[in-house]
Amino acid sequence: MTQATDMSSDMLAMSEKLKIFNRLMTTKAAIAQTPKELVWTLNKAKLYRYIPVVPASERHPVPLLLVFALMNRPTILDLRPGHSFVEYMVGRGYDVYLLDWGIPGPEDKNLKFDDYTLDYMPRAIRKMKAISGSNEFSLLGWCIGAILTTIYASLRPDDGLRNLLLLTAPLDFSDKKSLTFAKWTDEKYFDVDKVLAAFGNMPGEMIDYGAKALKPVENYLGNYCKLWDSLDDPNVVEAWHSMNTWVTDIFPMAGGAYRQLIEDLYRNNRLVRGELQIRGEVVNLKRLRANLLNVIAQGDHITPPCQSEAILPKVGSTDQEIYRVRGGHIGIMAGSGAHKHTWPHIDSWLALRSH
Amino acid sequence: MTAESNGNKGADPFEGFKNMRDAYLEGMSKVMIDAVNSEEYAQATGTLLTNYLTFTAPFREALDKTMVMALEQLSLPSRQQVTSLAERFTNLEMKLDDIDAKLDRMIGNLEMKLHDTDAKLDRIVGNLEMTLHGTDAKLDRIADNLDMKLQGTDAKLDRIAELSSAARAPVAEATPAPKQPTKVETKPPHQASGKKR
Repeated sequence: MTQATDMSSDMLAMSEKLKIFNRLMTTKAAIAQTPKELVWTLNKAKLYRYIPVVPASERHPVPLLLVFALMNRPTILDLRPGHSFVEYMVGRGYDVYLLDWGIPGPEDKNLKFDDYTLDYMPRAIRKMKAISGSNEFSLLGWCIGAILTTIYASLRPDDGLRNLLLLTAPLDFSDKKSLTFAKWTDEKYFDVDKVLAAFGNMPGEMIDYGAKALKPVENYLGNYCKLWDSLDDPNVVEAWHSMNTWVTDIFPMAGGAYRQLIEDLYRNNRLVRGELQIRGEVVNLKRLRANLLNVIAQGDHITPPCQSEAILPKVGSTDQEIYRVRGGHIGIMAGSGAHKHTWPHIDSWLALRSH
Repeated sequence: MTAESNGNKGADPFEGFKNMRDAYLEGMSKVMIDAVNSEEYAQATGTLLTNYLTFTAPFREALDKTMVMALEQLSLPSRQQVTSLAERFTNLEMKLDDIDAKLDRMIGNLEMKLHDTDAKLDRIVGNLEMTLHGTDAKLDRIADNLDMKLQGTDAKLDRIAELSSAARAPVAEATPAPKQPTKVETKPPHQASGKKR
């Protein structure tokens, strides 16, 4: 009888677990919940301003613009209430803006870094300056966003950029042995023109596969096994659900920008060599004079630390700092330890330079 | 039986399985990471992708052409036409954004000029107020001076009046009052000598 009771309770527990698992696999978590307003749009790009919670007199006067990658949603910066970098910074008195690149359509297949850095970013920044009333601003670039912000900061150093924060910035592609992506996209094996001729934009599914294939067992099996083991812990479940909602929200990358990423950066490392041309203008890293915080994830397998370290001697910034933090490419900003390490460090560094 | 059941309830019967599973996954993970980092894997995936694209290219072209012809027959726009239209919309948006930027700059310049003008007017008004205040003070001083002088003049006039009055009084005593015309008595001479009766 007792054995039967135990078995039925075990079956019940298993049934509950399966229900939770099914919910996580088939529904989307509510992410990007920090209140914001849309202040500017251009094509698919949108600029959001987060509603301040600190009185204006106590706020940092220098606004902060967040720029993420081109092929993922920037909602990773505002994952869920209580675990949101945006929410944290707004609470610390920053006037925070987010540039959402949107989802490129077939008409955007020719968009390049040139357009993003010299058309979209300056316009968004102009609007941000008009709304905030400040001629100076801070820029945070993460992943491909770090490439874009570095290019912008080098080409337009006099636009009022005071502080530049780079997170897991893939800038130096010289150490090809450490870069799995560099091997896969080598011109011997990967015909980027053929791919883009067929699809226009680089399909999100292929980019997603590429990121997951770096650690295939963890991403395709281990991730779900860990979830199954932790289904009793609501905190872990909700954290997983939010992250999975973001990870599965994939979309294409504009063809022109993808071609530049592969040919100019992965294959020829033109940015660090000083050979990258954006609309005929050579990107000279020495012209980058903003105060610079370079955040490096020590466990990053997508952007190994060697890709971010070489930038500091090449820029013209006199105020520069490297901050190494344990964690992966996404984990340093969206993981469970981010609010203890990365976020406070960014806040303390930026607070001193935002008056 | 019950005690045994209760004692064993805490033990996870799947613990062993989980450990085996985790060990297997860890081992497989290292193998797979090495595999995907190899040149052979890069070559294999590159070849697979290239072959796929090459094989499907004729089908894609044929499908595109067929679709364009069908859409033409139906008087519907093709993907290329819609894409072209979208590009033009984007250009229009950029132009509107440029106009928005210019308007912002103009408004900003106007506001600055208004602010400057406002400041100038404030300065002018301030100067006028100071001048009026100064003039007011001068007029007050003039009025005070006039008052004093008038008082002084008044005092002098009073003094003159007093003196005039005083001067008239002794003259009146020294100068007998005009007599009434009297008869002139002619006295005989002997009476005129002063004998009195």
